[in-house]
Formats: sequence, C-alpha cells, structure tokens
Amino acid sequence: MTSEVGSPAGGRLVGRPLPRREDARVLGGHSEFLDDLHPAGLAHLAFVRSPYAHARVLSVTPPRGAPGLLAVLTARELEGRTRPLPIQSPEGSEVADEPHPLLAAGEVRYVGQPVAAVVAESRALAEDAAELVGVEYEELDPVADPHASDLELLRWRRTAGDVEGAFRSAARVAGGRYAMPRLVAAPMEARGALAYHDPAADLLTVWCSAQDTHRPLRHLGHVLGRPAEQLRVVVPDVGGAFGSKGSLAPEAAVAAIAAIDVGRPVKWAEDRAENFVAAYQGRGMEAEVELALAADGRMLAVRARILADLGAYLLPATAMPPHTAAMLMAGCYTIPAADVRVSGVRTNKVPTGPYRGAGRPEAAYFLERAVDDAARALALDPVELRRRNLIREFPHRSPLGWTYDSGDYRRCLDLALDLAGPRRAHSDEGLVGRGVAMYVERAGGSFEAARATLEPDGRVIVRSSTSPHGQGHDMTFAQIAAERLHVDPGDVVLEFGDSALVPGGTGTFASRSVAMGGSAVARAVDELGKQCVQTAARLLDAPEDEITWGEEGLAAGDGRTLALPDVAAAGPLEATARFESDLVFGSGAYAAEVEIERATGRLTVRRLTAVDDAGTIVNPLLAEGQVLGGAVQGLGECLAEEATYDDQAQPTSASFADYSLLTAAEIPPIAAEFVESPSPLNPLGAKGIGEAGAIGTPAAVANAVSDALGGRHVDPPFTEEKLWRAIGE
Amino acid sequence: MEGDRRVKPAPFEYAAPRSLEEALGLLGEEAKPLAGGQSLVPLLNFRLARPELLVDINGLSELARIRRGDDGVLRIGALTRQSELERSELVAAEWPLLTQAVRLVGHPQIRNRGTVGGSVAHADPAAEVPVALAALGARFVARSPRGGRTLCAGDLFVGPLMTALEPDELLVEIEVPPVPEEAGCAFVEHARTAGDFAIAGAAAVVVPARHAAIALLGAGPVPVRASDAEGALVAGAEPREAAALAASHIGKGPRRALVAELVRRALEEAAR
Amino acid sequence: MRIAVEVNGERYEREVEPRTLLSDFIRHDLELTGTKVGCEHGVCGACTVQLDGEPVRSCLMLAVQAGGRSLRTIEGLAEDGEHPLQRAFHERHALQCGFCTAGFLMSLEPFVREKPEPSEAQIREALAGNLCRCTGYRGMVEAVGQAAKELGGG
Repeated sequence: MTSEVGSPAGGRLVGRPLPRREDARVLGGHSEFLDDLHPAGLAHLAFVRSPYAHARVLSVTPPRGAPGLLAVLTARELEGRTRPLPIQSPEGSEVADEPHPLLAAGEVRYVGQPVAAVVAESRALAEDAAELVGVEYEELDPVADPHASDLELLRWRRTAGDVEGAFRSAARVAGGRYAMPRLVAAPMEARGALAYHDPAADLLTVWCSAQDTHRPLRHLGHVLGRPAEQLRVVVPDVGGAFGSKGSLAPEAAVAAIAAIDVGRPVKWAEDRAENFVAAYQGRGMEAEVELALAADGRMLAVRARILADLGAYLLPATAMPPHTAAMLMAGCYTIPAADVRVSGVRTNKVPTGPYRGAGRPEAAYFLERAVDDAARALALDPVELRRRNLIREFPHRSPLGWTYDSGDYRRCLDLALDLAGPRRAHSDEGLVGRGVAMYVERAGGSFEAARATLEPDGRVIVRSSTSPHGQGHDMTFAQIAAERLHVDPGDVVLEFGDSALVPGGTGTFASRSVAMGGSAVARAVDELGKQCVQTAARLLDAPEDEITWGEEGLAAGDGRTLALPDVAAAGPLEATARFESDLVFGSGAYAAEVEIERATGRLTVRRLTAVDDAGTIVNPLLAEGQVLGGAVQGLGECLAEEATYDDQAQPTSASFADYSLLTAAEIPPIAAEFVESPSPLNPLGAKGIGEAGAIGTPAAVANAVSDALGGRHVDPPFTEEKLWRAIGE
Repeated sequence: MEGDRRVKPAPFEYAAPRSLEEALGLLGEEAKPLAGGQSLVPLLNFRLARPELLVDINGLSELARIRRGDDGVLRIGALTRQSELERSELVAAEWPLLTQAVRLVGHPQIRNRGTVGGSVAHADPAAEVPVALAALGARFVARSPRGGRTLCAGDLFVGPLMTALEPDELLVEIEVPPVPEEAGCAFVEHARTAGDFAIAGAAAVVVPARHAAIALLGAGPVPVRASDAEGALVAGAEPREAAALAASHIGKGPRRALVAELVRRALEEAAR
Repeated sequence: MRIAVEVNGERYEREVEPRTLLSDFIRHDLELTGTKVGCEHGVCGACTVQLDGEPVRSCLMLAVQAGGRSLRTIEGLAEDGEHPLQRAFHERHALQCGFCTAGFLMSLEPFVREKPEPSEAQIREALAGNLCRCTGYRGMVEAVGQAAKELGGG
C-alpha cells in the first residue's frame, strides 16, 4: 500500500488525518511479532506455575530426563545471580519491601506464580517436561478479599486546606463507596521474550514484547546486575500492551538467564492461559468518597480513602496507579481542601499494575459518581453542579499538589451535551438513564529523547526513545518532523525499539508519546534544521537569515539552491534532543445514554459521547482511533469484564470463554470530538490521548446506570444479575 | 487447575478411519472421537482432555448427510457441519427452529468446522442445538461394536458435559420428527457478547391450542422441557403466564426472571 | 505423519506430529508467520485461515487434518497486497497493533465477496467472530462496507 501522504514540502502536516504508513507491512502479513522470530538454534521455555493461591514450596524436583529437555531452572539456580525486580515508590508513599521473585523460593503467593522454568527443543516438549517437574506444596490459607487483608504494601496520605472546617461548615455531605473490579489488559499478543547471550562479547540481547526498550533494559540491568553496555533490548512489533508490557515480566528475566545457561537463543512466548493468571492486572480499587458542599453547591472539600487490592507482591509499577488515582481526586473542580488516603493491601492474587488509564479511570469513577450522588442530595441537576465548580483559570494548582497546565472544561462539557442530544424518558420495557462525567488526567512528565540525522541521500532518520505498539508513532512523528523540516514525510524515516540505536527515555506509557517523545523529535529536527541552514549558508556563501526552505531543498536569497544530499555531503549532520517537562493535564467530558431492561436487568448502552481535550492534535484520525479504542475498553469494563476469584483466590475467569471482550456487535454509536487547549509546556502544545476513552467512559456509563435506577448505586460490570436486583430494591 | 494450564496438547496417537466399523473398533476408554474439534481441541490444548488415541471421524462422509425420509423424519448425520445445517433449505423450510438455533452457535468460523453431532455429544449446558433438538422431540442414534440404540434427549443428556453414551459408542445420526403443520417456532437467547456462550435461552414450537413444546437453556445442567408450561399453553394460557410457569422451577432470582422473559419472547415470536 | 497440503497455491510436504496444531504448522513448519495465534482456545480468531475457501480457526485443527486440503493465509490474500479489504483497512484506520488483522481479513474476505451491500448490523455480525483490543471496531465497520461496495457484483 503506497501511502498517499504526498504533502507538498513545506505544507502543514500537523493536524491532518493521514492514514498510517506503517499499515502496509502489517496488512500484507509481514509484521514481525515476538513469536514470529525463529533464530537458528532456538530453544523454548515453559513455566511450572503454582496451582495454589498460597502455599509453602517444600521441594522442587526436576525430572531426570525428558525428550528434548535442555535445562530446568528453579530458585536454586538463580540464587546469587539475580535480584528481584525493583519497586518504584510514588512520591510521599511508604512501600513495603515485597518485590516479586523471579521464581518462587519457599513460598508461592498466587495462582500462576512461576515456580520453575523448563527449556526444551520445542514449546510442546517444554510443556511435557514441565509436567514432570515435581513440586511439593503445603497449602496455606489464602487471602482473596482485600478487606480481609492485614498486610499493607502501600500507604500514602495527603491533606491540604482546612478539611475539618469545610466538613463542619458544609450544608451537605454526600458521597458513597465505589469499586472498580480487577481487569485483565488482554492485548491480543500476550507477553514474551527471546534472549541470546553472545559469550565472546558478553552481550545479552533480549527481544521483548514491551512498550519501550529502556525500561526492560533498566529492569534487566537491576535484576541481572549487568551493566547497560552488556545489554541490548530490541522491541519487535508489539501486539498491544495497554500498560501491561511496561515493566519487565519476571519470566523475561528467567528467559535471559536460561539463554546464558543453555548457550542458545531461548524464547518464552506467553500463551493466553498464562497471560490470564500471570500478567499483572489493572484496577482493583475502591474508595469511600465524601464531598463537603455549600448550600449553593460549591464543593468545599473532598475526603477519600482508597483501598487497592495490590495482589501478592509489588511489581515495579504496582504502587503507581493508586497514587495517580489519589492525586486526581479533586478532578476538574475548584475544591480548596482535600484529604486523600491510600491503603494498598496484599492479597493472594497476581499483582496489579498499570492498565490503560492506570488510576485515572478509578479517580474519575470515584469522584464523578460522588458528584452525581451529591447532586441528588442537593436536588440539583448534576450538570449544573459540575458547572458551578469547574476550574476556569489556568495554570491551576490542585490541593493535592499537581498543577494543571491548561484546559477549557466548560467548553468540553457544553460540546458533550450538544452532541449527546436530548434526554429520553423511561419506556414500558426499559429504564432509561443519562450520565455525564468529566475527567482530568495527567500525562507526560519526566523526559524523552530523539536523535535526528541527515543521511547522504538527503533523507532524515529520526530515532525515538518512545516506541509504538499500535498507536501510530511512525506516521505521527513523521508528520511532526517533516513539517518542521519542510520536507516530504516520505523522506523522514523513523526508527524505534532497539536500545543499541535509539537514545534512552523514560518509556512509552501514560499517554506521553506525542507530548514528550514527539516534542523530543520536534526539538531534534529543529536543531538539525538549524544545522542544515548553517551548512547551506556556508556552502552557498550567503547569510544564514537569507536561507529558506523550498521544493528543491535550501535556497539562498538570490535563488541559488542546494539539495539536501549536497548539504549532507558537507559533513555529518546530527542532532540529539532530550526533552523534559512537567506533567501536562488533558481533560474531557463524556456522556452516556443507557437502557436497562426492566424484566431482566440487561443493560444496553445506547449512545456514548466523548469530548476530549488533549491539547494540539497531530493526527486526528489516529487520535480518534485512540479515543474509540479506549472507550470500547471502558465499555467492556461496564458490560462484561471482571477478573474474578473464588474465596480460595483461585481465578475463575482465566480464559476468553470466561472473560469476554466485546465484539463489534456490542458497540453503540460513539460520537467523538476534540477541544484543543494547547499545553504551554511543550513545543507541540500536545497532551495525551491514549487513555482518554478508558477514563471517561466507565464514569459516564456508571452515572447513567445510577440515573436509570433512580439514584441507586451499582458497581461495574453492570451485569443483568446486579441490575435486576437493583431494580427490585 | 487454572494456574498450571498449558496450550499445546499432550501427545496422543492419531487414527483416521475410513469406515464407521473401523472407527467403532477403535473407540473405547482411552480413545476419543474427533469430529469438528471446536470443543474438543480447546480441551486438548489446555490438556484437560488427554486421550491416548484420537479417532478422527472426519473421513466418514456417510455421517455428513442431511435428508428427509419417506416417513417425514429429518435425519441429520452426526458429522454434518453446523454451517451445512444453517444453509440447508430443507431445514429452513420445515424445521426453521434448527436454522435459528444453529445460527447462534459461535461464529461462522466455528460453524464451518463444528458438527451437529459434536454439539450434541459435547453436551455443554450452554449449547443451543441440544435445546432446539429437545424442543423438537429429536431422537439420537448411537452405534457401538455391540450394536445400536436410539435415545431421547431426556435419556441422552445426563449432566453438564455428560451424556449417556458409552466410551465405545458413537453418535451417528439425529432424527427429528416432522413439526406439526402450522406450527410457529422461535429460539431466543441471552449471551453477554455475540457468539458467546448463552447465559439463558428458550426454544418454542407452538400451534395455538394444539401443540406446545418449550425447551430451556440455562435452567439446569441439561436442556429442560417445560412440560407444565407446555400443558398450560395448550390449555389456553397467555404467553406471560406460561413463561412464568416454565421458569418457576428455577430458584427465585435474576436467572428465573431472565428465563421467564426469554420464554415469553420465544412464545410471542412463535405465535407470529 | 507425513502430510501434503496446498497453501496459497503452493504444495508443501512435511512430517508432523499428530498433536501439532494447524496454526503452529503454518507458522513454524511453513514459516508463514502472517497468521497469528492469540488464544489457542478458539475465541479470539487471530489464527483464522481459509480451509478450502472457508474461514476456520487454525488453532482448533490438527495439522494432520489439513492433509490433502487447500489453505489460504494472509500471505495469499492478494498477490500485490492490494486486496480491496486491505486498502480499505488502511484508509479507514481499521488496525492499530495489527496482531488481529490477518484473522479479520481472512474471516471477512468471503463476506465482502458475497454481500455487495451489507447493512451495518450484518457487518458487525460478520466482525463478531474475531476480537480486536485496540480499535473499537469502527474503522473496520467502515472498511468492510467500503470493500463490499467496491467488490459488489464482482
């Protein structure tokens, strides 16, 4: 498929809905995902995993031999050679020293935890041999319910303003208890890693289905105690991640050790059964929220206690989503005082971690449900209550400490209401409800980097620290670079995903690619452009300020031109930029219309409206794709998805037969529009859009469900059982 | 256990017999027949089924026919693909309930391989075809080296994923008696997502004041005929009353409400 | 066991273990890695290929069962990579990570060939046998409509 980008050099590219140039390879079946890699001599890894949620491991006995068996690794083989994965601790938090071991030593704490690793000539033979590994367990009592846990892994609290006074003087206090279940990220490609150790160079190369190169690189360095120069991480095509491929999988580190030991390339291609039990899950938070309100509806203070079911260990980013949720508990309102606490407790389940939104959907759900409950308590229209409290001036410092850079919350709300259309009444068959929810989200922050070079043939190669797994970095960054350099996008080549080639960055997560990675690209090509002008000025013997960009390349004031290859021939031109900024804050307003069948409790979402302000939009087609994809994940959370466990903490939704993803047939019409309030913090004015749909949707649908039920509260997923019971109450 | 599942089958021997006799000679305690594989292969992949021998009956084309006998009975070979049944004009004209039900089985990609006999023999309590066949009063013909026998739905389905078939017995054909003239029929179900396993469903075949057959999905471990509701309907009960009666054996709660609603809809649709 | 299959018009003969899934055979033995494997229990549809022209889940078939049959995979959908469906998927932004794409295309090809003017509901039903976690499906709905129209009556 030839890309019909063909914009004239020098034209505007940012803001155009261009289809992706990266599609052709994928559509033809030529993509290369991790499990498509088959280097010569490849050996395969399978894991022995705990069938118990909590048990002592008394012994692990490898088989004496099995067809095709090459090696068995247990905790003993790793002893003294590895460290557990590092733990990130959010600002102001106390986190327990409970890192995830690579392989269980002495104790297993969740069903699916890796206990031993088997390397064999094929995946099937590795699975056969894994069955022959003898593991003696002594069962211990598991904790399935976070309320029953007395082990706190994360504690955080922040108070600001006169909370006590606000609650004392409040005309009304309203709120409730709201819970979001654990969810499975379920990218269509599960996780995986392929490792190869070159003994001559002592270089360990790990191909990893990951969101970026440098987090796996850092984690591997930590776990293996190996300097970065002796590590290379390559990220091939990645079949979706949604947060779940951000931290290094413990299994990937085991694959690396196995490759060193066996002296051959070793691949662990996670299968779906493993992904359901062993990949970190998302959400699993609940909150008690109280709003102190003046008689006129002004929000005086918010108080929230968040309880997070963190699972059995702290993975690198396990503590981050609850912190993000807590920090956003003032939402898009001018609330002067806040008291927010987080308690993250240990349960005998797979750890949680970031999943699309990573604390933002929880915050929006907790707060926006409370706002609707408050509106009902005040007998005020929930839209009107929001309107009276919206932040109107920027920058705005939230009482919890984050500074919102820009926004136009009222316009988002107005536009969403316009698009949502009039409210409908109940019918004989169904209870109709309409819900509105707003959100503010943090994106960006920290730094990203890019390196731009002018090649001898006149093309520009841009190497970026953030890397794609479906978003469309190639097209988006080409638009940014080509526009700034006044060249055809076809002459800009993007390279990602190889730590030996790309500069280091923070990582591809938290809707940060355009704002941070894109800004780094912008800065790098700006610098490269400057070098081109300087070089052209020298070669043409003309003043720099007379040099202009045109169809032919660079031109002097008298019309003499110099093509880019000629500029390149004058010397290697290269520019590296590291772009750093504070957090940027996107926002949005969502509206949902739902109908609940009276006879059965079945929920139908009739219509969803999404208005997002992600600052400047580089490519509206791809940005809309992000919104729609996120919104449908949010709808899945409302209609079907929940990672369930029985009271022994055995997973009961561990396949696509039990954990249903929505199909095309369940999706209602979705109207999506953008408001663009540029961020003052980066050269593009960009914020984040990757998570927006997943943040606004559940809160809006939940408010609509509550509206249909006359104010009764139900937590997602909104199954017919729950809603039928709620109707009967 | 969920925690230590795998997705590559354990090793097995494989045989692809050319005749029914040969196939029957191979079946037994440690052998499993493989038809469309749409239910069995996931179990093999998860290693939840570990037969020593897999008897691939896909070569037995004599079992893949749909025909109507002189007696008016529809005979569906067990190996008939679900998509064949779906496309059959004869079935659509004379046994439209089956066409409706089979369209709800998975997706076209599943129905292109999945067989009618497999749907029956797997006895998933959430499967549509057994429920439709129960409503139609179908009979199930099984063969073994010891001979043949014919069972009705009530005798065949004994529990979730359990039938009365012996390990050496193969379901070879399904006999569906003619539907009473002027009968209306409907199959209605509720699944969380399209093609997903149904949570509940109802099949109805109705001739006002003369004939009523109602079979329920999700009202128990096997397809259930709602005989008191059938009787009431023939005696002149309104669909809503009959539906409430059909669901009355289910404990009070959301499932009873759901089944009652689906039966009501099936009866009203069948009456149209 | 030794089997011979025709894939995308080419004949292959290979020795396979009975337990080898057709999906693994296509990907690993024939090295046609355009077909992806997403769940290996027949739900996601990523591994969909055409068996004698009909879409089937290749993770729910044994390779030995494909002996003597004809298969078509994404690599054989169009010689020049320009099947109207492929073009429409590109133009309508119907793919993001692309892991599910081959399965969708192989499922949809007969649909757009046989149904010149499908309704949106029919398109959505035709899409429902495959899962996509990225796109929210709207681009696909539009793409299928576009491709069906283009192929209409052809």
